[in-house]
Amino acid sequence: MIRWILAGILRDKTRSLFPFLVVMLGVALVVYSVGFMEGVFMGMIDTTANLDTGHLRFVNKPFYDEEHLNPMDRALAAQKETGKWLRENSDPKVQWSPRIRWGAIIDVPDEKGETRSQTPMIGMALDLLSSDSTEIERLQLKNAIVQGELPKGPKEILLGDQLAETLDVKPGQTVTLIGQTFDGGLATDNYKVVGLVRFGVSAMDKKMGLIDLANAQDTFYMEDTVTDWLGFFPSHVPYTDYRKVSSELQSRLAGFREAPPQGWAKDDFPIVLSILDQRNMENMESMFKLVKKIIVGVFILLMILVLWNASLLNGIHRYGELGLLLALGQTHKKIVWMLGLEAFFIGLLGSLSGCLIGGAVVYYMQEVGINMGDAFVQTGMMVNDVMRGRVTLEGFLLGIGPGLVASIFGSLIASVAIFNRSEANLFRELEAG
Amino acid sequence: MDTLVKIEKVVKVYRVGDEDFTALHDISLNIEAGAFMSFVGPSGSGKTTLLNLMGGLDKPTSGNIFFENINLKDLNRTDLAEYRRKNLGFIFQTYNLLPVYSVYENVLFPLLLDGEKESAVRQKVLDLVEKVGLSDQVNKKPAHLSGGQCQRVAIARALVKQPSLILADEPTANLDAENSYQVLELMRDLNRQLKAAFVFSTHDEKVTKYVNREIGLEDGRIIWDKKRDGNGVLE
Repeated sequence: MIRWILAGILRDKTRSLFPFLVVMLGVALVVYSVGFMEGVFMGMIDTTANLDTGHLRFVNKPFYDEEHLNPMDRALAAQKETGKWLRENSDPKVQWSPRIRWGAIIDVPDEKGETRSQTPMIGMALDLLSSDSTEIERLQLKNAIVQGELPKGPKEILLGDQLAETLDVKPGQTVTLIGQTFDGGLATDNYKVVGLVRFGVSAMDKKMGLIDLANAQDTFYMEDTVTDWLGFFPSHVPYTDYRKVSSELQSRLAGFREAPPQGWAKDDFPIVLSILDQRNMENMESMFKLVKKIIVGVFILLMILVLWNASLLNGIHRYGELGLLLALGQTHKKIVWMLGLEAFFIGLLGSLSGCLIGGAVVYYMQEVGINMGDAFVQTGMMVNDVMRGRVTLEGFLLGIGPGLVASIFGSLIASVAIFNRSEANLFRELEAG
Repeated sequence: MDTLVKIEKVVKVYRVGDEDFTALHDISLNIEAGAFMSFVGPSGSGKTTLLNLMGGLDKPTSGNIFFENINLKDLNRTDLAEYRRKNLGFIFQTYNLLPVYSVYENVLFPLLLDGEKESAVRQKVLDLVEKVGLSDQVNKKPAHLSGGQCQRVAIARALVKQPSLILADEPTANLDAENSYQVLELMRDLNRQLKAAFVFSTHDEKVTKYVNREIGLEDGRIIWDKKRDGNGVLE
């Protein structure tokens, strides 16, 4: 019977082509929309994680509570011991990197050594000079360099290209960082600008500088001390797993707090956060899920309406055939079941085709993306200029599910008419052709 | 001969607007197993209504119709569908073949509806297609067949489940004389071979030459009931 139904679908275009096209288009749009949203959201998560919060963050609570003030004195000491504990106690998929968030005034001198330009800036110190550093790859610094080169020696700094433009600084010039030491004193140090970077995140490109972690510890008197330990997952781990791993680590942390490293202050109280706990990401996630539901819901509704209509027309087109089925002794229920099965196959074919088309577009978006840099230039959002899609299993499931549901549901609503069809006039109706 | 269908004091009244229209008045008759007979009469005489009632497509207003001692009045909608599926074959004036399927598939269709596997009934279908003389057209679609050939396919479809009763509503009305004779001869041969009862509703005089019994209807009443005697004459 299934072969019979499939043959009917394939041979009679009037019964299958339009519903097939509706489902295909609807599913392609759902897969594309979900894939694009996933890509944008994951892009936002990864960009934020790499430049700011990590997927996981191990940070001293007193520092975190006042991080807008950059309280360096609440950074966490015993870097080596803490790093060892993190690597031994967290999920092996997580890569931990120590970082220092710093803030300073950057001063650019003229030929005479007088201040030519000056502005406050934020910075991140990370491992740039070790041969086994993963940070250069993580931040894709080689690609981000628009002028100059990566730091190769001590006291070298990378500046955001827009910041450099504001300050009129070029690679090769020396600048002075004026900030605060770990113990509250004045820190000043000269750095040579060796490169200008563009992350495609306007907020960062306008304000940020990057220096090596060991140099920052020297400049800000923070030996064996960092402000953050950032944990990074491989890209295939879904963001929904972050909280679980974070909770597991949090539960093990109690033991570490009870027997802390000697370097920790008495009131140090490190905590573990996932990215979703920071920067309002939880709300963004809720909103993202809501929008996803709305998109899928709207498409289901629209597809059901169109397919209902198409099924009604199909019912009229096949009035004689359905009458014949009744005359031959098919029950109304069985006929509805057959039409439902037919709709299932049309829905399945349409959904798979839609997935192929939608998936192909999302794949293109994932690999190539669309540059929206001009639109973000005035925003402070930590979003990469290049918007990318993301091919995910969920995207395909969200496409196939509604495609099938809409197809079957549309057909079943239209099939209600069959229950009302009387057999009493079948001879006359069938004689009419 | 055993009685296949017993029609007992059947009245059928339709509501037309505000008025009742009596399509059948107190009809009683028996149809034997293996009969080859027709209801003749002008339009509105009640022929199709009788076929409707015998086919379990409609219920009488009063009276009873028994099929092999089962009173159709006692059957619900689902039971009537099963009754049709198991016992009846239908042949229509306009053939009502499924246009996207081949001759073979159209004949196979009722068996698939019954849950049969194609592989198990393939030969049976091909044999029947051969019996109706369409072996060389087996893979053709109805659009590529003549009217007579289409009606042969419809006959094969009606017979494929070996029902005991075939109801044929004006089976020759759309055919020219030559095709009509061929189709009637085919049905008579199959009636003899397969022992299925054929009941026609018709006003085609050609049918008279073939049937063994002819019942005349007028205004919902039986006005004659002729049977062929030993000399081949309808009396």
